[in-house]
Amino acid sequence: MLRYIFRDIGEKGFKFYFFLFIAVIYLPLVLLVVFSFNDSILMGFPWRGFTLRWWEQFLHNPTALGVVKNSFIVASVAAVVSTALGLLAAFVLVRHIFRGKNLITYSIMLPMLFPGIVVGISILIFLRSVLNIKLSLFTIMIGHILFSLPYVTLILMARLIGFDRSLEEAAYDLGASEFTTFRRITLPLIMPGIFVALFIAFTISLEDVVIAHFLAGAQATIPVFVYGQLRRWSGLPMVMAISAFMIMIMAVLLIISLISARRRY
Amino acid sequence: MSISNKILKLIRKSEKLSIGMQLSPAMFWIVFFLLIPLGILVIYSFWEMVGTRLIPVWDLRNYVDVFTRVGGMYIRLFVKSLAMSALVTVGSIALAYPVAYFVSLRIEKYKYTWLILLMGPYLVCWVILVLGWKMVIGYSGLLNYLGQLLGLISEPMSWMWNNWWAVVFILIMGWAPWLVLPMFVSLEKIDKSLLEAAADLGAKPMKRFLRITLPLSSPGLLVATFFVLIPTFGEFVTPALAGGSRGVMYGNAIDASFTSMMAWPFGSALSIFLMIISLIVATILIRIVGLEKLMESL
Repeated sequence: MLRYIFRDIGEKGFKFYFFLFIAVIYLPLVLLVVFSFNDSILMGFPWRGFTLRWWEQFLHNPTALGVVKNSFIVASVAAVVSTALGLLAAFVLVRHIFRGKNLITYSIMLPMLFPGIVVGISILIFLRSVLNIKLSLFTIMIGHILFSLPYVTLILMARLIGFDRSLEEAAYDLGASEFTTFRRITLPLIMPGIFVALFIAFTISLEDVVIAHFLAGAQATIPVFVYGQLRRWSGLPMVMAISAFMIMIMAVLLIISLISARRRY
Repeated sequence: MSISNKILKLIRKSEKLSIGMQLSPAMFWIVFFLLIPLGILVIYSFWEMVGTRLIPVWDLRNYVDVFTRVGGMYIRLFVKSLAMSALVTVGSIALAYPVAYFVSLRIEKYKYTWLILLMGPYLVCWVILVLGWKMVIGYSGLLNYLGQLLGLISEPMSWMWNNWWAVVFILIMGWAPWLVLPMFVSLEKIDKSLLEAAADLGAKPMKRFLRITLPLSSPGLLVATFFVLIPTFGEFVTPALAGGSRGVMYGNAIDASFTSMMAWPFGSALSIFLMIISLIVATILIRIVGLEKLMESL
């Protein structure tokens, strides 16, 4: 009897822990969004009433808006380029056997193995002291493409390994050209993988602060801008509004992936 | 005969060419923006900087400095960061494992919906996450506010912010959501009939967990270690925002030597040292886990 009671407590405890975990990991984000509407110049408790002042400040601040635009430009370009590079490489790595294949696979995984700080710094000194290129949004893109390449390639390789090649062969047998087969058979089948890769690369770029911190010139992305403001602890309420804005973008991305997951599983 | 051989050779050659062409963009990026820059980092670590000019002197002074400068401050900082990274790894895995276990073995419907929901906070950038945790454990955060409201504390607890403890705590809470996934993947692979068989043979739940579930999910634990340990080694954002002067990590020293101190060669030596240690750890982990396992967990 006692044993069953204990087991019941154990099961309930598990469930309790699970929901507590979810609540705790979302707590800071919820607080941040709520307190971006707090009518107080100081960040934090207590609640002093509702205001849209900080959001207005953010939406009327050309620097802050420019930073948001920069972030989206960098993330979009980085996502598209790294997915394109990863797709080409993944095709070859999954479908062909050749000398040096392992070496190439490992070297594409390399950016994942180094701490971001080392990757950022080495690109920085290379661009600045050897190529003498000025830091700009373009240099951030270079870093982000490199950094998301292993993730994108791994996702696409996994998708291609599970690919049923007899479908392509059937198309060839029925007289389809290589290009038609690719367009009508291969592409539609790996499209979900491409979307996942784009999504991951976009998110990596949008949320990265480590690499962008070293490679950003006068034009910053959102995380770099927020980091700079926080280090000086200046303009805090507006920074809270920007952060809340970022959290809302995350929520939208999350809902999109939840809906697409519902459809598939 | 010879003509068909020639055609065969030509096909092989064109296949090689197309392989090369498809791989070259990615490889260009890796070589040009990772390997060559890393090579330059290595070269600079043997040079010296006078003012803003780099001078090739080719000696080991910077590496000696890593161990001896400011009375061995840097090497102590390195050891401290290593210990903090280990603590973060153990802590975040310990928090996330029961969650992965629950999703894999207790939840039946909409497992993937829960998983995506669990990963949500990881999609937010670290800077914002740190700011969010300041709202919880900071001086005017939720805990201090509630504590004072309920009369548990008379003044805000200052030990919760601006020290190494705050840094470790935030890193643990930041990583935990992301770690659920790799551990979930390896828990899902466990053949549930093994557990039933063990139960039939009279094994108690605790024993079943220790003898079957835990060992079979160990690849997930290693993948999780891999995910956390390497980025945490070089962490500088969280310590800069939440660590105060006592919570500084090795990454902050590297950051400072490039952004504020203009000590590129010394910073290069610091980075190379960090990189070598990370590579050793990464190689060991990849040897144990295997690249395929790492791929499955993505």
